[in-house]
Amino acid sequence: MRLYVAAMFGLLTASSLGAQIDPGPRAGAGAVQPLAGLSAGELEAFKQGLARFREVASVSGAEPGATAVGLGPRFNLNSCAGCHAQPAVGGSSPWQNPQIAAAKQYGAGNTIPAFLKLDGPVRVVRFSRFFDGRPDGGVHDLFVVTGRKDAAGCNIAQPNFDYAVSQRNAFFRIPTPVFGAGLIEAISEASIMNNLRENFEIRGHENRNRNDGTITRFGWKAQDKSLVAFAGEALNVEEGVTNEQFPHEREDTPGCVFNTSPEDHAARGGSGASAVSAVADFMRFLAPPAPLPATDSTRRGEQAFARIGCAACHTPNLRTGKSDVAALNERWVPLYSDLAVHNMGTGLEDFIDQGEARGRDWRTAPLWGLGQRIYLLHDGRTTDLVQAIREHGSPGSDAGRTVAGYDALPMEARQDLLKFLRSL
Amino acid sequence: MVPRKQIIALAIWAAGQTIWAQTDPGPRSGPPSAGQPLPGLTAGELAYFAAGISRFSEVDSVSGTEPGATGSGLGPRFNMNSCAGCHAQPSAGGSSPSPTSRQAAQVNPQIAMATRYGATNTLPPFIQPNGPVRVVRFVRNADGTADGGVHDLFTITGRSDAAGCSVAQPDFATAEQQQNAIFRIPSPVFGAGLIEMIPESTIVANLAANAQEKTGFGIGGIVNRNGNDGTITRFGWKAQNKSLLMFAGEAYNVEQGVTNDLFPNERDETPGCVFNGIAEDHFNRAATSATAAMSDIIGMAEFMRYLAPPVPAPPNGPPGNPQAQSVANGNQVFGQIGCALCHTPMMQTGKSQSAAMTNKPVRLFSDLALHNMGSGLADGITQGLAQGNEFRTAPLWGLGQRIFFLHDGRTTDLVQVIGQHASAGSEANGVVQNFNSLPPQAKQDLLNFLRSL
Repeated sequence: MRLYVAAMFGLLTASSLGAQIDPGPRAGAGAVQPLAGLSAGELEAFKQGLARFREVASVSGAEPGATAVGLGPRFNLNSCAGCHAQPAVGGSSPWQNPQIAAAKQYGAGNTIPAFLKLDGPVRVVRFSRFFDGRPDGGVHDLFVVTGRKDAAGCNIAQPNFDYAVSQRNAFFRIPTPVFGAGLIEAISEASIMNNLRENFEIRGHENRNRNDGTITRFGWKAQDKSLVAFAGEALNVEEGVTNEQFPHEREDTPGCVFNTSPEDHAARGGSGASAVSAVADFMRFLAPPAPLPATDSTRRGEQAFARIGCAACHTPNLRTGKSDVAALNERWVPLYSDLAVHNMGTGLEDFIDQGEARGRDWRTAPLWGLGQRIYLLHDGRTTDLVQAIREHGSPGSDAGRTVAGYDALPMEARQDLLKFLRSL
Repeated sequence: MVPRKQIIALAIWAAGQTIWAQTDPGPRSGPPSAGQPLPGLTAGELAYFAAGISRFSEVDSVSGTEPGATGSGLGPRFNMNSCAGCHAQPSAGGSSPSPTSRQAAQVNPQIAMATRYGATNTLPPFIQPNGPVRVVRFVRNADGTADGGVHDLFTITGRSDAAGCSVAQPDFATAEQQQNAIFRIPSPVFGAGLIEMIPESTIVANLAANAQEKTGFGIGGIVNRNGNDGTITRFGWKAQNKSLLMFAGEAYNVEQGVTNDLFPNERDETPGCVFNGIAEDHFNRAATSATAAMSDIIGMAEFMRYLAPPVPAPPNGPPGNPQAQSVANGNQVFGQIGCALCHTPMMQTGKSQSAAMTNKPVRLFSDLALHNMGSGLADGITQGLAQGNEFRTAPLWGLGQRIFFLHDGRTTDLVQVIGQHASAGSEANGVVQNFNSLPPQAKQDLLNFLRSL
């Protein structure tokens, strides 16, 4: 008991006197801004893409307020912007999880899995193995359209998430923000490879796709090739909307296929843009997050960031190559990522392979926009930046030495570092 | 002096050749059996088909300045400068052309490509004027790790529109010497929209059908799936490609070096060799019409989507026509000896956004699944769930006017092709055995049937 009190006292002292604390997400509403310097045509594509990014899908477009077509039969949410919401459209998970309402929307009768909370992050679930033991890795959607007023006759069950969790087979991911994604796409492979070579003391490698052998760079494991590929995959996987790139329903149980395929396609007439291509243009032309002006404290934090080795992987700048878009052409991109994958240790492992990324490999998460992020790490396990740093240091992690360097910093320097991160 | 026994054997063999040996009737003459749009397209769909074929036929140079090659984005590495250049027989959308074609005779267009517009490429020995269009994949990287990627034949070095770019061709001689180079020829895209619209449940159910008979033959088979959305992939020699759009985007960057919205990064960024901003092909935001707004890859996908399947030879002729009877017999033999267990004669499309592709029979003669084809065909390359010895059941529609066969175009002789289905480990060994035991006339009927497709 005495020991407990003493420990408590120690903790209090530390908190009040000098323990580094995450300043928390910055206040102020985010704004959806296009890149500076877009042409009129590009700006128009951005606006139209934003509308498609926000549009809400129902099964056949008949639900009031949900005019896009193609939801389900399985889905995680009914729009892009629902999950990519914080601090503005295009971001990551909002404070209040919209998946809770989606479970029951328009007559649906879905059970809400235990890992999904109203005050927790938006999550998607991947299984590491199929129930018969073969390697899986795919997304298993939370919800089905069964029971919805626009899905009469469809009767399918949700996956058995309780069982998957009990078998330690369910792994979560939260939405990655897409601010500045066009700049990321335009970064040359040479810039990525040169940077990796310069920081040779850190292991890590780029991910590549089997189609054309080039570097993939989007998603938590850098598994996605391009914004169009990212949009097409997410539309089918997260919303169940088939499209020209992924034209097949992930489940075609009789009674559950309500629309012709693909559900999203280039309009016959009109602008000719499919939702996939419009949404990709929105992401392409979306400006990166604007950091706060530097202060003495954030400058010191930035120096510490470099000194202890954070910047070796969280590369402050990479450079775009030649782009057909002037606003993306030969620019510095202050993303704080090397876009490579690194072994992040047993504590973050999800036992899922994607391309050349193994179970412990994760893409260095770009830190721009961290100032207004709420949920951190791939599965949104914490909202505390200090915790997020510590999670980098489990056995086997490439970041082990850097985390030790962080722990060895004077308290004031740690606080400067946290302030710097929340200024991004 | 020749021993008597040998003379007798020779005499029997010669008699067999003249009287009984089955022969491949060879590619059919007459107009191309394919190249038309699907019947029943709307006016709007036809407009996309027409706009699409111009993208499919467009010839690319580095920056669009070469006379007659107004598309831009070629290279730095490439196998050809247009889609239609390789997909040519018997018409645009098909497989490799040949000087022996009875529809569109021409030498391998890769021969001229090597030195076009000032390029200084060396022709590898496996590219021949009368041989098939080929692309090369390497099985392993130099360090022994698995590769599997396409290594383009040519570079733009020396071309009049590529001043300052100096990159070397891959060392194909060494790769061949080390048995590290494997080839693939173009897969025809006739009827590709119908293939895309076959529901997954149909493919899965078809693969599970006739289980007892398949087991008896040692035929298994799996579908290939992609890691993105987990659905079945179905295009390409190993069924590695998900969709027509994906197929177009990949080929545009890999075969021609044209970066696009799906694959926006150059495969080689050597300084001095990057002449254009990426993506070289992209959605045209300034266009005033929907067809003009299409990116090339969307246009190419639309062309393939609305391209009709090959039309088989008319089964009729005068009553009692011996040729028609032979084809009809061959069709029966095809089923009887087990070919049809994998080369499924027909699957049906589901609900498509195009009425012309909704609930239509697709007479493709494929199950779209992967099968172990034995050590003789194995190429050692893994793609998705397809292992080194596995290939997609090649659709047989259009076979009547195909010139080169098997994934690497190793033969033009249908009898050879059937024989090549048998080697150690192949799931087709039992069926080939059945073929070999057929009476000569039945074999000939089967070959006549295949050349009627």
